[in-house]
Amino acid sequence: MVTKKFFALLVTCGAVFGTTAVAHAGDSGAWWQPVGFSGHVVSAVHASGKTVSVTVDGEQWVSTDGAVTFVSGGVAPPESMNSHDEIWTIADGRVVHGQTLDPSSPPLGSSAHLIAAPTALPGTVVAVSDDGVVWRRSSDGKWQQSFVLLPQRIGSGPPTITALAAFDQPITGAVYLATDGYSVLETSNGGDDWVRAGPGLPDAVLSLATDSTTHTIYAGTRNGLWVHVVRAIPTPPIYTDNALWWRRGGIAVVVLLAAAMTLGLLSVAIGSSSYQSHERRNDC
Amino acid sequence: MRPLYKRRVDVARYRTMSWWETAVGLGATTFALGVALLVPRLFSDPNGVDPHDFRLAAVTLFVATVVAVRARFVGMRSLTWALCAIAVPFSLWSATPYVLTVYFRSHMNFPTQLCIASAFQLMMTFVFVFVIRLTVPEHHRPHLRLGSSGRSAALVAVAGVVAFVGIALALPAMWLGRVGIAPIAVLRDLPWGGPAWALLAVAQEIQFRGLLLGTCERVMSQRWANVVQALFFGLSHIAVQQEGPIGFFVPLVIALGLLFGWMTQKTQSLWPAIVIHVVADVAVAVAVVPGLYGY
Repeated sequence: MVTKKFFALLVTCGAVFGTTAVAHAGDSGAWWQPVGFSGHVVSAVHASGKTVSVTVDGEQWVSTDGAVTFVSGGVAPPESMNSHDEIWTIADGRVVHGQTLDPSSPPLGSSAHLIAAPTALPGTVVAVSDDGVVWRRSSDGKWQQSFVLLPQRIGSGPPTITALAAFDQPITGAVYLATDGYSVLETSNGGDDWVRAGPGLPDAVLSLATDSTTHTIYAGTRNGLWVHVVRAIPTPPIYTDNALWWRRGGIAVVVLLAAAMTLGLLSVAIGSSSYQSHERRNDC
Repeated sequence: MRPLYKRRVDVARYRTMSWWETAVGLGATTFALGVALLVPRLFSDPNGVDPHDFRLAAVTLFVATVVAVRARFVGMRSLTWALCAIAVPFSLWSATPYVLTVYFRSHMNFPTQLCIASAFQLMMTFVFVFVIRLTVPEHHRPHLRLGSSGRSAALVAVAGVVAFVGIALALPAMWLGRVGIAPIAVLRDLPWGGPAWALLAVAQEIQFRGLLLGTCERVMSQRWANVVQALFFGLSHIAVQQEGPIGFFVPLVIALGLLFGWMTQKTQSLWPAIVIHVVADVAVAVAVVPGLYGY
């Protein structure tokens, strides 16, 4: 009795772990790659072409070969994480477009400074208010609350939003939002939907910088400098003609074999147990 | 002290079939489903060819039909129809938005399509409940517990919702992806998405805690029946997660399956599990931000 029960449980557990292992085998590679300064706090980063300047543990470092090698010194990166801030900026807690105050801009607070506007989505702007609420301006000029961070756990507040970044060339309409606790989040449709975009990245991200010439985005974290090269998420291949029918045929064969295997096992099991169900039915 | 619940089913007399047959049937069908799901992935890309997992529905339907036709398999009918009730409605749910878009040229947004798909899934689940009533002898049928409710079930439902919210807030946000709320997306999707997730939760509870748990209780102790349905609940979510880091998710689903099954057995009602599952699914849709590769 114990042996039979153990066997049944073993079969079930084997199926669980087996399929889990196979499913894990299909996991994608790292989205973010480490550049350097592992174990150090990279509090600011700026990138333009091959020149990347960072602030690491309070010291300035600069690279002129696209972040391959860094030398100590150089100019401190600008505090603002804005992209093309000559167009959209924040002044006195309000969003300014060029020299003109945006009439429908929400009050962001006197110390608000994070703003990003992807060139690929004209008129779309994302800004962060003093109280950590993410606002977005749609192309028709309307402002709405786009994202609100939730507390990390009971008794603690949400993490700080540390940076916003977007590309100043029409490479992608994505806006990246860095947090000191929730890694990086991304919106690709002007702030309607957000996804967590920090696979491989530490949870504490302090700075972001985009570089349109190399299609890269750099993230300064409490554990070094990281980089992501913008690429499209691969879509499943589309089969046509014979390839499609061969694949469908193969799936059909596997299905028939699997079903036949099941029925064979059932026949063996029922044949050997010999109507035990009739005995138990009388007890009902 | 009065007990909180009243057992309406005499468990000892409820077991009417040999556990060995059902265990083999469940193990063999699970293995066959795993083969049907994973073997094609070794040789091709079934996500492009069979994105709605029709092959899983085909395996269960084929086996259940043969079992229903042959008298010698009468002890297997309840189980095989229960597994059909899981696989076939899932494929229908998965394929409905695609069919609406491609063949009916629908311009409905995705949450609306999802709501229609969830309604179809629930209807198809009830079709299999009806099929079980027609083809399975009464002493083999699973006890659904849909018609029973009461004060204890209501108390458990409320307490379960409060506990769920408390645990979700107590656990670190990054464990669950509970990092923020996107108000624009919520206002856009919730009117149709809320009912969609609710109907999906109801269908899953009937499938797992109704049909599968009820079938397993006919052949084994309540504890083992609960373990078996919870493991299958977790396995089913592996099938759904085609890509991406699974990690924490599947063990969590198994644990939730155990909890829902235990509540169903103790209260003799499916409704507490339904209520908590609905709240959980809607809360996940609202407050869990998906990662780049899914959850």
